[in-house]
Amino acid sequence: MGNSERVQLTEDKWEVQLRKGCLELAILAALWGGRFYGLEILKRLEDDSDLIVSEGTIYPLLSRLKALGLVNSEWVESEGGHPRKYYALTKSGKQRALEMAGIWARFSSSMRKLLGPLSGRNK
Amino acid sequence: MMFADNAQKKIEEYLDSLLARLDGVNERDAQEFVEEVRSHIQDKITTAGPMTPAVVDTVLTALGNPEELGSEFRTNALLTDAKDSRSPIRILPILLRWASFSVTGVFVLLGAIGGYLIGGILFLCAMLKPFHPQTAGLWAFHDETGDLNVSFRLGSANPPAGAHELLGWWIVPVGLLAALVLVLATSQLALWSARKFKRSKVFV
Repeated sequence: MGNSERVQLTEDKWEVQLRKGCLELAILAALWGGRFYGLEILKRLEDDSDLIVSEGTIYPLLSRLKALGLVNSEWVESEGGHPRKYYALTKSGKQRALEMAGIWARFSSSMRKLLGPLSGRNK
Repeated sequence: MMFADNAQKKIEEYLDSLLARLDGVNERDAQEFVEEVRSHIQDKITTAGPMTPAVVDTVLTALGNPEELGSEFRTNALLTDAKDSRSPIRILPILLRWASFSVTGVFVLLGAIGGYLIGGILFLCAMLKPFHPQTAGLWAFHDETGDLNVSFRLGSANPPAGAHELLGWWIVPVGLLAALVLVLATSQLALWSARKFKRSKVFV
């Protein structure tokens, strides 16, 4: 493996880790203000952010958030005749989302300052 | 009609493969997860057009490999259970499963077995001291080559000639405390490793 391939691989891994780290916040944010089922959450993530999540893996993640008490769920009969599992933020989920959004805002603001001189140079 | 039957068969095969990967997860959670995935498939097919095998193939491919999806859910579920209990009985099966597909998992499993084993010996040593006060405990002795050996003895046999006990009755509180700390630390470290290194294919 050449040096440039190794650098590319490290960059890819870094981006995956970065996106992975944001996913919990992204899901909590997608659930802000309503209850949604898995496919709707995926669509909100795709439409409102750059987080293209592999479809099936959203469900184990939602299950984990539920186990942590950050979301709750209920089955609702759909117009199509099959049931859908809807998720909504719990009180502690809302609190966690606000905390994470605050941390994100502070972090991105300080990073923006640091990265200022670099902007526009990588095109 | 034939098309729809074949398409439905593909869906059922996918869901069966998914369910087969959920052994160890409690039945209610496993069934609910499968039903949620079924609901996802039905929604996707509804928007994709008439249910043909080709449409179903596209939907199932986008959903991901059922074995990987099932493993991801199962690992998360088992980790959550294990985190609540910190019990070696819950943690070791997860590590065993991890070790089945990862060299890192093998090392973590061996480390955890080592940690729990030493913790268990310390516990037994402390508990058996009152029953074998003259022989159970932490003993040091020089072997034939003159090297110093230190070992825990459970009291079933006499220590070698010339051996001397290091902690005496202190083995009871020290052994119990050390066993507790070691088991908890091993559990914590094993869970941390499993969460950090477990296979996850979240992004496409």
